[in-house]
Amino acid sequence: MLNIKNVSKTYSNNKKAVDNLTLEIKKGEIIGFIGPNGAGKTTTISMVTGIISPTEGTIEINGKDIRKEPIEAKKNFTFVPDHPTIIDTIKGIDYLNFIADMYEVDIQERKERIEKYTKLFQIYDALSQTINSYSHGMKQKLLISGALLPNPNLFILDEPMVGLDPHSAKTLKDIMKEHCDRGGTVFFSSHVLEVVENLCHRVAIIQKGELIVCDTLDNIKKNSSATLEEIFLEMTKYE
Amino acid sequence: MNKFISLTKIQIIDFFSKYARSMNTKNKFLGILVIFLPIILILPAYQIVTQLYNIFSTINAPELTITYIYIANTIFIFFIGIAFIISVFFYSKDLRLISTLPVKEDTIVFSKLTSVYIYLFVISCFFLGTSIVIYSTIGELKLISLIIGIIALLISPLLPMILSTIIILPFMSLVGSGKKRNLLIIVGNLLFIGGIVVMQTLLTRMQMDPEQIRNILLQEDGLLIMLGRNFPPSIWLTKMIQGSIPHAILFLAINAIFILILKVLAKGLYRRTLMKFNQEQAVIQGGKIYYKKRNKGLQIIKRHINIIISNPIFLLNTLLTIFLPIFMGVIFLFTGELDGSLFKSTILEPYQIYIYSAIITSPAVMGSLSATAITREGKAFWQTKVLPISTRDNIRYRIYTTLIISFFASLVLGIIAVYFISVNLMTVLISSIFCISATLFLSVIDIIINIERPLLNWSSPTAAVKNNLNIILSLLIRVVIGVIVYFAYIIISAWEASIIMILFSGFFIILYFISKYIIRKIYEDKFIDIAP
Repeated sequence: MLNIKNVSKTYSNNKKAVDNLTLEIKKGEIIGFIGPNGAGKTTTISMVTGIISPTEGTIEINGKDIRKEPIEAKKNFTFVPDHPTIIDTIKGIDYLNFIADMYEVDIQERKERIEKYTKLFQIYDALSQTINSYSHGMKQKLLISGALLPNPNLFILDEPMVGLDPHSAKTLKDIMKEHCDRGGTVFFSSHVLEVVENLCHRVAIIQKGELIVCDTLDNIKKNSSATLEEIFLEMTKYE
Repeated sequence: MNKFISLTKIQIIDFFSKYARSMNTKNKFLGILVIFLPIILILPAYQIVTQLYNIFSTINAPELTITYIYIANTIFIFFIGIAFIISVFFYSKDLRLISTLPVKEDTIVFSKLTSVYIYLFVISCFFLGTSIVIYSTIGELKLISLIIGIIALLISPLLPMILSTIIILPFMSLVGSGKKRNLLIIVGNLLFIGGIVVMQTLLTRMQMDPEQIRNILLQEDGLLIMLGRNFPPSIWLTKMIQGSIPHAILFLAINAIFILILKVLAKGLYRRTLMKFNQEQAVIQGGKIYYKKRNKGLQIIKRHINIIISNPIFLLNTLLTIFLPIFMGVIFLFTGELDGSLFKSTILEPYQIYIYSAIITSPAVMGSLSATAITREGKAFWQTKVLPISTRDNIRYRIYTTLIISFFASLVLGIIAVYFISVNLMTVLISSIFCISATLFLSVIDIIINIERPLLNWSSPTAAVKNNLNIILSLLIRVVIGVIVYFAYIIISAWEASIIMILFSGFFIILYFISKYIIRKIYEDKFIDIAP
């Protein structure tokens, strides 16, 4: 579903944010992407989603190169960023209709999905209000609802749990699992290691722009009784 | 005092780092050129001030150059200060943090005004600074005048800025509440600006008793007193630069008094206006939850228009620049400065096609909307980049948004202008072709500037649409094109006006296609690389 091949990103100040990263995510997988602050998680996700382009390497989503066939590639995924920054002077329902139009969701499906997800996240009643009246968490829930609306093959989330109340965090985890069970793929970054540990089929750890491991939790643990947190701290300890 | 210095320092550092970042050009030579661009803009100011100096010198009163420019500068600073103050006080992103700090309210107000002061001081340098330098250096070097002049220049933005602050902050709390507060802010501010201009014009036109005029003129410095009679600080400033200590004391005292007044009012202004404004939001509630399918392009254009409409600073700026000819025209007609029959006179008949074309094309010339089409989105820019639309469409819809707003304004101006100018159908048609071709070109060339310099991280909306070099670059392009068109006109001025206009339309169409080609070949790739 997602194929990242030898991808590097060097910024104009010669800082290499991502260095020769290769990662393959199969259909139906949930992959947790973890790493210390500034390790290159958001840069990698930004390259995958087409927000910035890689300096080297290729990124394919469902066989479509994000640079060569951007529209076809983008039809295959939706994205929730780490900050719910959207145009907030429109109503919640305007935003969701906007997203549905962009992904060509027909009327019946958009009605069903909007009702389903916004009721699950308890923001349905706020949809007729302008987004500037929403709390941080409500904006996050609106973005997640919008991203789920087109029923994407690949669901990409950058720090999705930030700002969510426990109830909504549980709802999101259930949705991610359900999405996977239906054959969808989830790729998300997080600092909440318990979520990654309990939810993901595989865990990718990035440090200083390099992917240091991408494997199942059992393989990473190598039969030890250590938690993901202990392993993560050991692998990424300050040198 | 330490807290005030720290708070002010952080505002100044932020201002200059944003300015430095706004230069984000990788080419060293281009970088230097961009830094010196504002200096280039001093050249027309130098030209105007020199002419004024020469005129006043012929009546042996060159110091009136400073008086005249200071009055004009004060009025300009007062009006332009309104937009800056609203932006910095009500729409800047740091107020949430600053309001939690253990500092006095007046410290916050004064430190916020520091960044407004920097903007206004730079603006003052163009004309007032130039007039002081010219007065002190032409003929013989008057060093004392130059030094005092620089001190006066430093002080000059204070009075209009404080006056603006004292009036606009309570005014904003008056109009800035309720569901339709954005609309109220726009309408309120436009009416406010219009009202002040009308009042000012009426005051200057007020007839004085001829005997009184004679008495004034018979005095020493009669002309100076006459010119500055409605605004005495202009007399004090002029005399101060000439070396008069009593007038220097008066000028310094009036500024000090205004600072004191603001200091006394600052606490109340902060609590009753800023806090009140920030605790209310323009929330629209109610209405049905609907499910409606719309065309992708239409939705994105709607989004771009909404970005302008929903932000009072963006909207106020757009309205003021695009409809400037209307505002000025209405005000001058209302005050009798302009006679409607002037445009229908036979002397102007051969030039009517040019006048009409200039009026309807002015929104595209003044607006520079495409030059900030990406910048206006700020940090929300990521969104259209992840949507399944092509880069070409992503750029195209931004240009369409500019075209819709520009053409709408042109249409309104065109209809109003028909009332004042006798134009036939053919003139309207040819002028419209010219307007369309020029608007197309300017909308496309401006977006190139914005792709080159996207500036997504801005602290206040004014910084996004007004105080950045994109606008200066955009105006510079217009100056260059204007010079080319002017010289071309001189060469072919004997030709029929309609033929000339058709030729110019063709010239703009060619430029439009060239710019479009450049976007496709170079700037689509650059657009992809814009990192939010």
